[in-house]
Amino acid sequence: MGDVGRKVPERFDVIVVGAGPAGCAASYMLAKSGFKVLLLERGRGPGSKELYGGRIYAQPLRDVWPDLDKKAPIHRWVTKERFSFTWGSRVVTLEYRVGRSVSFTTYLPEMAKWMADRATEAGALLVDEVVVDDIVVRDGRVVGVRSGTDFLRADVVIDAEGVNRILLEKLGLAERLDPGKVAIGAKEVLRVGEGAINDRLGLSKKEGLAWLVAGDVTEGVPGGGFIYTMKDTISVGIVLHVGRAVEAAEKGFLRTSIHGMVEKLRLHNYFKQIWGDADVVEYGGHLTIEGGLGLVPKKLYMDGFLVVGDAAGLLLNTGYTIRGVDFAVTSGKLAAETVVEAFNVGGPTEENLSVYESKLKSSFVWRELVKHRGISEIMSDPYYFTVLPALLTSLLKKLFEADYEEPTIMDAVFEAASEEDISIAKLLLKLASVVGRV
Amino acid sequence: MAGYRVVVGIKWVPNTQAVRFDPKTGTLIRQGVPAIINPQDLHAIEMALRLRDAYGGEVIVITMAPPPAVQGLEHAIGMGADRAILVTDRSFAGADTLATSYVLARAINKVEREIGRVDLAVFGQETIDSSTAHIGAQVASWLGWPYIYYVKQASLSNGSLRVVRQLEDVIEEYEAKLPAVISVLAKALRPRHVSLLNKLRARTERPIITWTNKDLGLDTRCVGLKGSPTIVAKVTYLPEVPRLKKVHKAENPREAARWLLKNLLSDEKTRDLIARALWGEGSA
Ligand SMILES: Cc1cc2nc3c(=O)[nH]c(=O)nc-3n(C[C@H](O)[C@H](O)[C@H](O)COP(=O)(O)OP(=O)(O)OC[C@H]3O[C@@H](n4cnc5c(N)ncnc54)[C@H](O)[C@@H]3O)c2cc1C
Ligand SMILES: Cc1cc2nc3c(=O)[nH]c(=O)nc-3n(C[C@H](O)[C@H](O)[C@H](O)COP(=O)(O)OP(=O)(O)OC[C@H]3O[C@@H](n4cnc5c(N)ncnc54)[C@H](O)[C@@H]3O)c2cc1C
Repeated sequence: MGDVGRKVPERFDVIVVGAGPAGCAASYMLAKSGFKVLLLERGRGPGSKELYGGRIYAQPLRDVWPDLDKKAPIHRWVTKERFSFTWGSRVVTLEYRVGRSVSFTTYLPEMAKWMADRATEAGALLVDEVVVDDIVVRDGRVVGVRSGTDFLRADVVIDAEGVNRILLEKLGLAERLDPGKVAIGAKEVLRVGEGAINDRLGLSKKEGLAWLVAGDVTEGVPGGGFIYTMKDTISVGIVLHVGRAVEAAEKGFLRTSIHGMVEKLRLHNYFKQIWGDADVVEYGGHLTIEGGLGLVPKKLYMDGFLVVGDAAGLLLNTGYTIRGVDFAVTSGKLAAETVVEAFNVGGPTEENLSVYESKLKSSFVWRELVKHRGISEIMSDPYYFTVLPALLTSLLKKLFEADYEEPTIMDAVFEAASEEDISIAKLLLKLASVVGRV
Repeated sequence: MAGYRVVVGIKWVPNTQAVRFDPKTGTLIRQGVPAIINPQDLHAIEMALRLRDAYGGEVIVITMAPPPAVQGLEHAIGMGADRAILVTDRSFAGADTLATSYVLARAINKVEREIGRVDLAVFGQETIDSSTAHIGAQVASWLGWPYIYYVKQASLSNGSLRVVRQLEDVIEEYEAKLPAVISVLAKALRPRHVSLLNKLRARTERPIITWTNKDLGLDTRCVGLKGSPTIVAKVTYLPEVPRLKKVHKAENPREAARWLLKNLLSDEKTRDLIARALWGEGSA
């Protein structure tokens, strides 16, 4: 035990709260630049409290860890994208064979542990099983953190607490979570076996599939299903818009619980053929951001303070992709760069740390969020989660389920619309406004 | 040192809520299962910490386990223990309770030789993965110290120990001369959380030492599998009682109990399964 007797430090240059992707990236970059960093995590070990869908976009992570492809716990590179509309037993599926894979699948707990290990190897100190209760402010300056009766001083505190922003709320920088701006996710992990996954989905070794599902799998509530292939398991889950789900439940439209929906998706005849009755080896749930810029806090910086990752409201959910981890990592990196520069020009004052906001706003993260800002309105509108899948499946039914005579496409559209009681005029108006917004 | 030196034994166990049995070999599948401190041992740590907080002295947490158990020792330091000892050696593997308690007792002797007098050894009531409740009693036998188990409260004065011990129908009070061994009643206390500064201390000062058999110098015939006379002769599985998936919204507890009894006893198959699960094959 080489280092018995090393003194307990009384202060740190930087304390990072939360060992998720954002906190780990910030800690790694700062430790690498020689800062004395303490990374605090309430779970037992980094990643123990994490749950997400299943896929991460690689390039933004390579910008932080160039050896990502060789060293990270990557399960499969996504080479097939699928998107399905479901309506009862009818399913419409679109498949895209990717030319160049830009994303990979992995478990977030595994990935977070890997990122935290990189941070501690670079010299950051990780302390787990500790909940930060308050970010301590004195005379308008953040001076450290409090946990229970313990106070620890730092020149800079980086808040990477994730979507449930209790600390930010206490600081007055964020409102209580608005159910209209968050979604809840639940998933099951099915042990299918590596060979069976490859055979049934037509994948080669290390090739993966990402599959999003919309339609009556969420019983008309905005949200959707997701299916990701891991090395030898498949993750199957549902994401639901919380505000809309509560509304629908209160009105009596929604009777199924979210885990009930996950189970229905798992037992759905069309999807079930892929996993048969594989064992459910794990299940869990987590909150996430609905998407758009609606959850960005009042301020992203203060004197001695920065906010990164989900806590900063940085997540993109377009309905066909979810990008949270790479945004979190990028914001962590930008925060670290800001702190390094601030110390070179006199310290982490509010003015010096404001550079973080300009860095963020000129990064791809912000550009993506701005570009897709219309999407959150669509993603929370039940219309698109009932009418579109109903119309599409009904249309294909007309075209493909004819015993003698097939209708023309135009006839089929109108027949399907009148059968499903859909106004084509309203649909066209809605679609036009979507195009306008997106 | 003023005050008392208290040694606490903890076991690093697979989280049995997540553990599975291998029906072929009849052993626990420990691989890939997250390990935790045996939950009852958190109460033992808590009792030791309260004694130290009240009378001064120090708490030393000790475990015989493979190296990953350091995580558990860090947790104990995080709760406030002063130092910890990991007793680990390949030759200790496969130990039954006799061999385990022998190593622990000899480690406590070594604490006395090298750190100072030990006044009290504290153990948990039993473990979640083996539940023999042997260890406390056996360590006391090796050391020749008095042993009191199911202890709910303890206090110290003038070289002696007073405890309250709770059994099913009586509460007893005992007094014993120190040094002594106690086992703490399950769920007797509310174990404290890890604190930021203590956990920071665990990670920076690292007040954890490792002893192998090079340090202890025990006869290899008395430790590990070789020193374990216990043989697992046979493992029988009790039938699983399948869920009937009935949900009843009760009006009040009395009515709920009636409904339960009626449902459990009126169905012959269920009645039979319960009897076998409770009393074994052939009891129905
Ligand atoms: C169902 C679902 C599916 C998703 N799918 C994807 C996907 O496929 N791809 C993708 O890129 N993103 C996905 N996301 C989003 C992604 O998980 C998040 O954007 C990402 O994890 C954010 O990282 P973070 O570091 O900001 O926060 P988190 O990962 O939430 O980490 C925060 C950490 O801080 C800790 N913490 C919080 N408060 C405290 C405190 N007070 N004291 C100490 N520690 C604290 C937490 O325990 C946690 O470890 C999904 C999310 C959900 C819920
Ligand atoms: C033939 C045989 C082979 C075995 N092989 C293995 C093996 O390979 N690996 C394995 O993990 N188990 C093995 N066991 C089980 C092991 O012997 C017992 O789990 C162990 O001796 C403790 O007994 P217990 O769990 O019933 O503890 P109990 O007597 O129920 O525990 C009471 C208290 O003693 C203390 N305590 C218990 N164990 C320890 C410890 N190790 N260090 C410090 N304090 C402790 C704790 O405070 C605990 O609450 C084997 C058992 C047999 C019979």
